[in-house]
Amino acid sequence: MNAFAFAARSLIRQPGRSALGILGIAAVGALLFDMLLLSRGLVVSFRDLLDRDGFDIRVTATDAGPIGGPRLPHASPIAAEVAALPEVADAVPILMSDAEASHPGGPPVAISLLGIDARSGRHPWTISSGHDLEDVAAGTSGELLVNQALAASLTAALGDEIAIRVRCGPGRAPLPPSTFRVVGVAEFPFDDAVQLSGVVRRARMAGACDADGRDEADMILVSSRQGGGPDAAVSAIRRRRPDVHAATNEQIVARLAVSRFTYFRQISTVLSTITLLFGFLLITVLLTVSVNQRLGEIAAVRALGFSRARVAADVLWQSALLVGIGGLLALPVGVVLSIWLDAILKTMPGIPIALHFFVFEPRSLLLHAVLLAVTAVLAAAYPIALVTTLPIATTLRNEVVS
Amino acid sequence: MRAATIAGLLAIALAAGSAFAGAIPADSIPTILVSRQLREAQGLAIGDIVSLSSDPTGAHPQPFRIAGSYEPMPNPMLLGASRHEVRLHLPDLMTLTSDETNPLASESVDAINVAVPAPTDAGALAQRLASRIPGLVVRSTSANDDRAAPFVVLERFHLAIAIVTVIASSIFLLALMLMLVDERRETVGILRLIGVRRRRILLHVLAEGVVVAAAGALFGIVLSVAFEGGINRFFQWRYDTSLVFVRITPAIALRSITFAVPLGVAATFASSWTLLRREMFLLIRR
Repeated sequence: MNAFAFAARSLIRQPGRSALGILGIAAVGALLFDMLLLSRGLVVSFRDLLDRDGFDIRVTATDAGPIGGPRLPHASPIAAEVAALPEVADAVPILMSDAEASHPGGPPVAISLLGIDARSGRHPWTISSGHDLEDVAAGTSGELLVNQALAASLTAALGDEIAIRVRCGPGRAPLPPSTFRVVGVAEFPFDDAVQLSGVVRRARMAGACDADGRDEADMILVSSRQGGGPDAAVSAIRRRRPDVHAATNEQIVARLAVSRFTYFRQISTVLSTITLLFGFLLITVLLTVSVNQRLGEIAAVRALGFSRARVAADVLWQSALLVGIGGLLALPVGVVLSIWLDAILKTMPGIPIALHFFVFEPRSLLLHAVLLAVTAVLAAAYPIALVTTLPIATTLRNEVVS
Repeated sequence: MRAATIAGLLAIALAAGSAFAGAIPADSIPTILVSRQLREAQGLAIGDIVSLSSDPTGAHPQPFRIAGSYEPMPNPMLLGASRHEVRLHLPDLMTLTSDETNPLASESVDAINVAVPAPTDAGALAQRLASRIPGLVVRSTSANDDRAAPFVVLERFHLAIAIVTVIASSIFLLALMLMLVDERRETVGILRLIGVRRRRILLHVLAEGVVVAAAGALFGIVLSVAFEGGINRFFQWRYDTSLVFVRITPAIALRSITFAVPLGVAATFASSWTLLRREMFLLIRR
């Protein structure tokens, strides 16, 4: 009988103990798997969200980012200059603001309003019903796209007229509302579960603020031309307009990864370490007690001619079987657990519906397997030392005497 | 004084600051406070003259003298962010950020902090003010605050992790107790042979379980308290903040004991019960 079969029978002989060991490993393995999914989940999910709208570069006034940072002045000529670069396929300025929307005469609701120029069919939303905003040639039209939540909140149907009062910024007197016509319902990737959003043409939104031709934008969304890639486009933009800040989606995600997303990476590291330590202790204790209870039996098989390497292999296989089966069971448990934990974290205000904290990547699975394998080997080290240094004659004598 | 994040609002031109030093008497230069992080990052010292501008390009800078340095209010929402901040006297900030095209700018502030003589009246006062001045958002700082929502969610997340950890620990404990009880198989058999009743043995085992579980829980709390300082110091260093990350309170310690001791006793009971149900002769058979 080979070492694997021998180890398997040893575990089957003590089904309760083995089952509990496997369950324990499954529980800590599930937590470990989830922490590995969490460690890069936000970064992967956020990058996916940024890439989803078809723009791979963001141009802003400073490196402070579009929210809370200063606006880009003279956005149209900057966007035109950027769009004219051979490395760039498209450049679309956007303006973001808070606003109040209401059916004429109805109570107002607070909304997030996006103003956008469109030079092509590329835009950061997906039409669910109705049609898209008309083209830029008629950019001052009063067409409005709303998300499902806003349509429901205003009980607005396609064709309805909605009064929108744009909050033009601190210190600016509130202006009379402008009327927009709902032409479509759209899904916006960055909306959270309760966010009420709408999008209009930027010129019309600026007009609603009586912007005196300021031509401001919070950000210019840029897509690079295929073949060149975003890095080449960013270099070209920086050469052409050194006064603005251009960053690829990859660079934005990298910056967020070391600033805003660090909390979850840290907690993932801490909990992964604890779960591994826990799994190591569990297996070490199980195997050590098991070996201690079978010292006589091990001494007997050694006396029958089993080598040190062979009894060590038996213990190692036992550890591998416990961790292997527990680790496999941990995967479905971990997936269910991650869905639960993700649902908890997504109740945080301001988290986009499409953003996930726990995201599966093949590397997480590989890392999970490697970490558990290392744990299995380390956990078996002490019991292996016990069986390989076992004094055969003394142990057998003690066994007979007792 | 009012805080402003340099990255968002003000451009700081430290080198240009020296140009003002000789031109304007030091006493007439308005003063600012700088955050410790900004002071360290830029190598600033108390008394230095710096120039600030509200223009992202640094245009139209105005000189300020650093009167002191402060530790920013710890804010979990700003974890990982560089707290490069300055505090200006409100009139200085309004002058610095004034918009000539907008006459209302010099009359506008983001918020007004109000202290009431009796804190218990804050809610009623907020309601009265809100009803008297339409369009004004008045909120008591003791009222339910939306800004706390992320931490409520994080607390739920940590509780969920704790539940999973407790389940894993319970399985570990049960496995351990099964093995320990199994080692006593013969002892229990002999006790049964000499006439000790199952109930008596079970009580003995339970008492032992209580002692072991209580000792384990206490050891866990001592370990947590021992790690508390180290964990806080590490994360405070990592994030350059004075935020407290771990705090072992008596309530948390009590909750841990409330969970751990019954779980330990239950594991002892479950593992012992399987042994005591066996026939006496099976227990002493080798």
